[in-house]
Amino acid sequence: MARSRQDLLALFQTTATEIVEKEFKSITESTVISELGIDSLGMLEIVGSMERQLKIQIPDEMLAGIQTVKDLVDAVEKRQPE
Amino acid sequence: MKMKDSAQQERVYRLYATFFDKAEQERRWNPFRDVPWDKIPREGAHPILTTVAETFCCVESYLPDYVAKGINLVRPYFGQTWFAANWGYEESKHSIALLEYLLRSGARTPEQMFDLQNRLMENEWQLPFDTARRMTIYGCFQEMATFVIYVKQEQRAKELGDECLATIFRLNARDEIAHTRFYQDVTKVLMEEDRVGTLRDIAHVAKHFQMPGVGIVPDYEERIKVMRDDGRVDRGVFLQKVFFPVLKYLEITRQELQEAAWSKQPTAAE
Repeated sequence: MARSRQDLLALFQTTATEIVEKEFKSITESTVISELGIDSLGMLEIVGSMERQLKIQIPDEMLAGIQTVKDLVDAVEKRQPE
Repeated sequence: MKMKDSAQQERVYRLYATFFDKAEQERRWNPFRDVPWDKIPREGAHPILTTVAETFCCVESYLPDYVAKGINLVRPYFGQTWFAANWGYEESKHSIALLEYLLRSGARTPEQMFDLQNRLMENEWQLPFDTARRMTIYGCFQEMATFVIYVKQEQRAKELGDECLATIFRLNARDEIAHTRFYQDVTKVLMEEDRVGTLRDIAHVAKHFQMPGVGIVPDYEERIKVMRDDGRVDRGVFLQKVFFPVLKYLEITRQELQEAAWSKQPTAAE
């Protein structure tokens, strides 16, 4: 079953915390990922972990354009089964 | 990196021989003779280009550390060692060309540059990874990133009418992509020897990757901000122009890397 955007936001927050080993309290969809101190390769690791948990694959070409949490949630949402 | 197999050692030496032969035939240049010094704009260097040239010059100034530490790590591997020696020679030209540009354009005085060099040498660059295989993989990403930035800055220098600096960036970029190819080809040999271990190392290097100037070049973040604000360096570029192209050349996918990092499958060394 497809997860809601709110669930995906929470999943991003948990996964980022696990991978970066830093607590993120006030993440919203408009949060710019780099402003969390997460670089592009860190973001890639978070995406990989989310893909694994959700059993989806996001095409590489979609990843370079991701700047905000919203961009990432959009990309994940598009790949979720209906 | 084991490479106990003499056939593999020979393959790496052949890669170096090919690299060297091609460099001798097509890529040798002299910073004093092959750079159009008379094409520095009459009004002098643009402030943004000055920052860019000086930043690259700073990063290249740690060459003594890069060579000393890098060459000792790969010392047991003949082809790699000779490549490291040649790499140092080529990189030294980048540093000389940029230093000469800053002086000849009038952007910096000799006193300022030597003072900067002294400040740079107060810090020492440390190897970011402690095995030859990881450093080879690091070379794939770092040289490719440097190539991409030089190409972007070459375009910027042209836009600002600085044909001299554009030429320096072009010559440097051409060397950097040749270095990238060598590291990538050696990595392919290493994958044949121990695919799981090499994939795991690629994932490890990607996770901990930083450009060499981070933490040692004075005001590094502010310098990068100048380039970022000028629109030449952004975070998406690294994935699009560096990370994914390197994976493509190595014929591996992001998913394979992640699986290798997470798997418990033993490597050839285990």
